[in-house]
Amino acid sequence: MSNEKDKNLDDLFRKKLQDPVNEAGFREEDWDSLEEMLDEKKKRRGIIFWLPVLGSVAALLLLFLGWWMFRPQINRSNTGNSVAVTSRHTKTNTGINGGTERQPEGVKQSNPLPESHADNSQSGKSISGSKSFFTLSAKGTRRNSGNGSSTVSGTPETAGEGIAANNNKGIAGSNKKSITTNNKRIMVAAGPTYDFNSGSISNQNVAAVKLPLKNAIIAVTAEPKVKVKSTFHPQYALTVLAAPDANGVGSSFQQSKLGTNFGLAFSVDVSKKFTISTGAVYSVKPYSAEYGQYHINYQPAVTPTQVIADCRMLDIPLNVGYQIYNKHQNRISLGTGLSSYIMLHESYTFNYADSYTSPTHFTVPNSNKYFFGVANFNATYEHRLNSKASIMLQPYLKLPLTNIGYSQVRLQTTGVAVGLHWNLNSLSKP
Amino acid sequence: MGEEELHQLIRGCIKQDRKCQKMLYKAFYGFAMGICLRYANSRDEAAEVMNQGFFKVFTHIGSFDTTRPFKAWLGKIMMNVSIDFYRANLKMAYTDDLETAEHISDNELADRNLNYNDLLAMVQQLPQAYRTVFNLFAIEGYSHEEIGEMLNINAGTSKSNLHKARQKLKQMILNADATAKNTNYGSGTGYTPIVALNAISMQGIFLNKGIRG
Repeated sequence: MSNEKDKNLDDLFRKKLQDPVNEAGFREEDWDSLEEMLDEKKKRRGIIFWLPVLGSVAALLLLFLGWWMFRPQINRSNTGNSVAVTSRHTKTNTGINGGTERQPEGVKQSNPLPESHADNSQSGKSISGSKSFFTLSAKGTRRNSGNGSSTVSGTPETAGEGIAANNNKGIAGSNKKSITTNNKRIMVAAGPTYDFNSGSISNQNVAAVKLPLKNAIIAVTAEPKVKVKSTFHPQYALTVLAAPDANGVGSSFQQSKLGTNFGLAFSVDVSKKFTISTGAVYSVKPYSAEYGQYHINYQPAVTPTQVIADCRMLDIPLNVGYQIYNKHQNRISLGTGLSSYIMLHESYTFNYADSYTSPTHFTVPNSNKYFFGVANFNATYEHRLNSKASIMLQPYLKLPLTNIGYSQVRLQTTGVAVGLHWNLNSLSKP
Repeated sequence: MGEEELHQLIRGCIKQDRKCQKMLYKAFYGFAMGICLRYANSRDEAAEVMNQGFFKVFTHIGSFDTTRPFKAWLGKIMMNVSIDFYRANLKMAYTDDLETAEHISDNELADRNLNYNDLLAMVQQLPQAYRTVFNLFAIEGYSHEEIGEMLNINAGTSKSNLHKARQKLKQMILNADATAKNTNYGSGTGYTPIVALNAISMQGIFLNKGIRG
């Protein structure tokens, strides 16, 4: 009997609940939340799609770094070539004007310059006609395949993506090679004849460096432009930043000193995740190190025990950031890139075991530029205040790829930048 | 919705076409919600569970065998999602005392004019473990063995939970009866105006006819 009753109860519920007379009405907000879930999934897929690209970017970077590690040896082996300065200039000119000169394989050390010019002129032209993200790769392919710089403007799309690694390296590489070899050689040339009192490197030499440098900058800054064109809605932002940092020489920060930096950065969101940024940061970098870590051509009569240096420089970074987190008002991204140091002023104080020994001080007021001589690694936390402004906290690490400054030290820096980030086109595209 | 139309929608959903997804969602919203509501504590929770179900539907629609009825497939997904959603709560022990409500008779059950919303509210008031077993046994028609397997509990626990669910429901029906008696005229006033309107319109027709005649 009890079972019968239970069955009736079950039946009552089954009949009524299985056939709702008034079904729950459709609510748009329910669909909205489902749509959000589906979009989220797509996004995740997007990341998976980007993984190979990210992987290749990382591989590229490694290749590039690897190349940089080996580069100084090549330079050193060429330092004997002191006549190269003048011959290089004539070649430079032909490179710029005609751009047709072909470099044979196994080019001698003095030749990379025209090669880089050929690259530059190509990159300049291909920007105008390109839509593809991988346009940059096109330049290199053409160069590699042996087409002269005169035959540009074609179809950049034809270039395979796979070649990107070589190409980027090729472009960046050739430029930098030429520049840094210049610098190196100037350093070396100036070294033996260096006059302590005049304290400057011959202006002519510096001027000679300037011309190729300009081109190098054009070639590099062209990079973001191309990307901007190829993506949907680039967003521009300006950041004012200040950063205390610790500077050390060698492999540790043990003897590190506190430096100050302040400057401006300009960034472009080239896609939802990627940001390219550049800027100018004025840095005061004091550091101290054992004398052995310096490579100064000028040799004081008595070997100092310690050298305290104070460098004023302009740091021009070119970084790529990848956003790993973006929720609510907070964004976290990881970035890497290269910095160029333009030395404005260097002063060195020597400390001796015997406190009366001289010289104790010397300055290098007008010194060199180190293009892409420093690798940047940073993580950025950004908190949005409103649609236009956000505050930024950025721990960073700068590792030297070349020896920096007149004293040729491996100066590394770590610090935290604090900044105010301003969206330039937030009105047109929130 | 016609069979052809449904298959067209499903094909669209396989291509991840957002419009087709929305149409399918809208078309089966009521049905899916009907299932999820029975397992959930509230409408909002049911909507959340249902969306998880639809998310599964849209992501796995490629594996759906189009020769089989879609509604059954969807229903099963909704049921599984509901069970999964509350799985953590299923093993919770309830020590509440059950009032005996054995004396309720068949007639009493039949007489009570309980509608869908009343019954749904009662089921939703059940503790999770009772509600799930009651749903699976009384409404979906699974055996205790099957339920035990699905919920990862003993068949005995299933039986006991079902019994407790029934006791609670009976009690709720009795309580509802008591409150209905207290506010007895609720339904009466609801129907009266309609009856009156009908009467007036009938009269009007009749009167017209009378004049013409």
